[in-house]
Amino acid sequence: MRDVYIIGTGIHPWMGFSEQVFADFAAVAVNDALKDANLEWQKIEAIMAGIFIYGGNAGHLSGQYLESIFGETGIPVVNVYNACATGSASIRMAYNSIAAGETDTALAFGADVSPKGFLTAKSDNAVQDRDVIRWKMGGLPNPIYWALECRKRMEKYGTTEEDLALVKVLMSEYGSKNPHARFKKQYSIEEVLNSVYVCDPLRLFEICPVSTGAAALIVTADEELISKADNPVKISATTMGSAMYGDPTIRISALSCPSVPEAPMLSESYSASRQAYEKSGIGPEDIDVLELPDNSSWHYLVYLETCGFCKDGEADKMLRDGETKIGAKLAVNPSGGFSSHGEALSAQAIWQVIECANQLRGRCGERQVEGAKVAMAQTYGLMGNSGTTIMTI
Amino acid sequence: MENMVNKVARIPNLVDWSTGEVRLMSAKCNSCGTYFFPKEHYQHRPGCSREGVEDVLLAKKGKLASYTIQYYPCPAPFKTEKKITPYGIGLVEFEDEKIQITGIITGTDLKSLKIGMEMETTILDMYTNEEKQQVVTWAFKAVN
Ligand SMILES: [Zn+2]
Repeated sequence: MRDVYIIGTGIHPWMGFSEQVFADFAAVAVNDALKDANLEWQKIEAIMAGIFIYGGNAGHLSGQYLESIFGETGIPVVNVYNACATGSASIRMAYNSIAAGETDTALAFGADVSPKGFLTAKSDNAVQDRDVIRWKMGGLPNPIYWALECRKRMEKYGTTEEDLALVKVLMSEYGSKNPHARFKKQYSIEEVLNSVYVCDPLRLFEICPVSTGAAALIVTADEELISKADNPVKISATTMGSAMYGDPTIRISALSCPSVPEAPMLSESYSASRQAYEKSGIGPEDIDVLELPDNSSWHYLVYLETCGFCKDGEADKMLRDGETKIGAKLAVNPSGGFSSHGEALSAQAIWQVIECANQLRGRCGERQVEGAKVAMAQTYGLMGNSGTTIMTI
Repeated sequence: MENMVNKVARIPNLVDWSTGEVRLMSAKCNSCGTYFFPKEHYQHRPGCSREGVEDVLLAKKGKLASYTIQYYPCPAPFKTEKKITPYGIGLVEFEDEKIQITGIITGTDLKSLKIGMEMETTILDMYTNEEKQQVVTWAFKAVN
């Protein structure tokens, strides 16, 4: 297997609903990635595209639509969907194609336009699509799943409403310093605690909305391109995990979960992160920057435990003691996280990897983690989808 | 029990009242012992032969394993004639079957919710359909 490096990255800043075509957002990110890598379009040998599920035929063939904008060259174009870990899947495919020697240079990208209004059922067929049941009969929008787990956590470990609010305070401080972030207002703990409940115990400012955004990543094993690149970032491992039997988590879209655990919570993320540690020989103790999926304040806490940064039930103390801040041994979500961006499904995992790469390349300005050498991006997708990418410089 | 005449579940194969009690429709795998809900959502233990899956009804009562109160209306295709927000959602544990199931909480003071309290399976009226039937979903309420 060959070493694979990130040489070019591009982000279209995160924003709210737009009438603009998703492929045009993607083109902005891809153009920036090409410029960053100092690369001609014709040098791209494969495109691994994230599917934009609300984009109909065009969204499901997003790679082809993107390719046609820059000029069709006949290369392999593969479109992939793994819920919120879609970007992890496209990065992993690009990495594997290069590491195996099939191609030298590949593009991974994703672009999502936020649907107008609420996320809801994508079909009307409850036989083929069991997700329809939770919408038609269950009364279960996504944050309810997080609230049910959060309540269990509060009961089990004593997590407080102040802990949940503190996550937002920290994320909003970092988000205010990030030009790519959609939400740049800084909040005090009182302001967060005064925001309305969406689903008790989670408040409006403690859950992330859906956003529009695009991200593109160019990876290569071409030695000449690597030597010419500005601070190339090595991908030490990029993995994906699915759930394990007996995982007690109530997964988004499901109506039931086991009551006697036989696997870790969020087992798909447990699996992806452990695979990455194994493959890279890098462990949580070596990591300087962690971008984790803070879809809600509950996620921020539980992911520190799932990925092995502390023992179960200890994340609240890490947070309260300032051990997750920029300047501490581990900086968690110096980007401002999903809390400051919102979810842009097919783009967000790539955006997380780019944030990590930017930290390692020393490009993060006011939110820069000084001397960052090792970074990890962790995703979370519904129904057992997760990816981990570990990078070094 | 509620008067169940002229009521119909919005989607079939989830909730049953043919026995005179409202109970959730599950399936049990007699090879790996796992219960499924919805009953077609198989989640076998790896290596299971998957033989001997049979339809079963869950116990009527369980314990509240977690809950939340939802303050915003659930978007379409969810619909109810009467406004139900804020509404409770419970995760109810059926101990013998080793499964926890989500459901709207009805007929219960939301301020009284507490993890561990006993809950029973019931139905929630949603709306009247074109055939003048009352369309329902499954729900949970506190056992008095
Ligand atoms: Zn089985």
